[in-house]
Amino acid sequence: MTRVRRSGTRWALAALILAALEPAAAAEQPVDTGDQPSLSQECRVPGAQLYTMAKLGAVRSALGENRPLKILAIGGSAAPGASASYPAKLEAALERALPKTDVTIDHRGLPGEIASGASERLRTMVAEAEPDLVVWQVGTHDAIARVDADAFASSLSEAVAWIRSHGIDVVLVDPIYTASMAADVDYNRIVDAVRTVAAQQEVPLVRRYEALHYLSSRTEKGEGHMLGRQFRLNDLGLRCMAEHVALTIATSLARTEAEPAPKIAPAAPPLTEPQRAPG
Amino acid sequence: MRDPNAIDFWRGFALVTIFINHIPGNTFERYTFSQYGISDAAELFVFLAGWSIGIATRGRDGKPEPAVKSVVRLLARTVEVYRAQLTVMLLALALIAGAALLLDNPLILEWHNAGGFFADPIQSVCGMALMTYQLGFFNILPLYVVLIGIAPIFVLVGRVSLIASAALSGGLYLASLVFEWNVPSWPGEGDWFFDPFCWQVLLVLGFVLQGWNLRSDTLRRWSRRLIPAGLAIVVLGIVLAVTGIRPDPLMVPEPRLLFTFEKTYLTPARLLHFLGVLLAFAPLYALLAPRIGAVGRYLSQLGRNSLAVFSMGSILSLIGQLVRFQTGGGVLVDMLVAGSGLVGLGFTAWFVEWRTRNKSSRPRP
Repeated sequence: MTRVRRSGTRWALAALILAALEPAAAAEQPVDTGDQPSLSQECRVPGAQLYTMAKLGAVRSALGENRPLKILAIGGSAAPGASASYPAKLEAALERALPKTDVTIDHRGLPGEIASGASERLRTMVAEAEPDLVVWQVGTHDAIARVDADAFASSLSEAVAWIRSHGIDVVLVDPIYTASMAADVDYNRIVDAVRTVAAQQEVPLVRRYEALHYLSSRTEKGEGHMLGRQFRLNDLGLRCMAEHVALTIATSLARTEAEPAPKIAPAAPPLTEPQRAPG
Repeated sequence: MRDPNAIDFWRGFALVTIFINHIPGNTFERYTFSQYGISDAAELFVFLAGWSIGIATRGRDGKPEPAVKSVVRLLARTVEVYRAQLTVMLLALALIAGAALLLDNPLILEWHNAGGFFADPIQSVCGMALMTYQLGFFNILPLYVVLIGIAPIFVLVGRVSLIASAALSGGLYLASLVFEWNVPSWPGEGDWFFDPFCWQVLLVLGFVLQGWNLRSDTLRRWSRRLIPAGLAIVVLGIVLAVTGIRPDPLMVPEPRLLFTFEKTYLTPARLLHFLGVLLAFAPLYALLAPRIGAVGRYLSQLGRNSLAVFSMGSILSLIGQLVRFQTGGGVLVDMLVAGSGLVGLGFTAWFVEWRTRNKSSRPRP
């Protein structure tokens, strides 16, 4: 697989310039001062299409105590070209967004369906890593296995509630957009289910599907891909993932800060929310 | 060719169960016993592999064959399984990549963590040869390679004392649980899905019990007496599986792995449940065999050729997943996928036996 890669320095330089030039991408967000990471040219998506926000109490208290921020990044592969570049990029993007914070990222694959065995494995991973935040790319395997969207939603809801009940924050990332799946009803129901669960459980969501959909309308020209347009879009999506996740975390964090955050029990599951019955 | 027997029958049964369970979301999944207990077909498969090592390295009178012969036999089998793992991995990756290209759908590249391979082929191909890079559902054979690779140690110790062999294995198992020893994955973080330091205990258990079973009647007497206990464990397993009650890995005391239900580490709860299943269902074959005729012969034939059938089953289940994905699934597709898969497994077993009909058919581990 060949593709043109920007060098690290160029990328960082571009990010710096953009940070200086571009106003905050979040449309519904008060414009933040310097520490909001902006998106590089190729990854720019309007905030409303990129994420929904929610509070990140555990991350906030880790930052408050000047501890290193421990993140467990689950699912998906690294961007093409270099090993583990997604976690490395996410770490860099977050450290840019949160100056003076040491971020450590544990990146794990989680094959299998959330609706069957994988949510058990997730619990094991969380117990092993004991992170402050779980960034979870979820839904792809269940979509591929044609899992019923309701069964998926209730398992995901249960898993997210479990993580949060242990005072750990969660950021969900929904599945990718690709043209051949755009009209697939089951696939869209899985994407919707991730959104519903994120809203119900009050966790931030990176709307990768929407973001890639937006980018796909914009990237008619540009670098070619020997495997065709959908593969080029997929590469772009993987390259932008880290930036999109970092921006979602930073803006959510800004909101956590803006409102008085409960310091002691940061992530007790909301009792007022209609909880789905555990499946 | 060996006549149908209990070991081959249950092995075939485990192979069919694994095949069905490896097409996630399909209609028939809920009719497999794996859904109704803490342990599943993987335990059965590994235990029977251990039992078969016993059969292969001991005569009917319980006298072991020459030590060197056992070691070479196990080494040859290790090479054979390793070769199967490489072949199956390559075919699986090609199927995934081919489907993604054909359907112009990069989503498929993420199947079973294959994305890591396509993202980073340079490291991944080394990891593939080292077996530290594994695809989801393609992780039993690497375990099997390691288990048969280290089996000579337990077999040789077992020639002196079966108790010593069991103690060595049990000690390694407990230490791995307490200190959370596992083999790392590479490239990428994490560990093996099947922790060989833990799972070896089941292989050695099979080997040791086969030895005791040959030597005296005590084991058989006790396993008959313990049938009610086995049934009680099976019922408890069904209740726990159906209600979804299980320990919270963040709430249990340390050492954590002694109390959870994790498949990766074959935790004590899973081991105990498997022993219960064994006690409850082992006598069933004698009752079933005269009544199920062709089914018994079919399953035994699969069990006799377990490596080929397992390998083909992995590939067929992946094809089944792709078919389900592209067609959207449904009962009709599931029947077609499962039906043609079972025919495919049967054909594989028949083909292997046809090809080797003129060679010796000693049982192999």
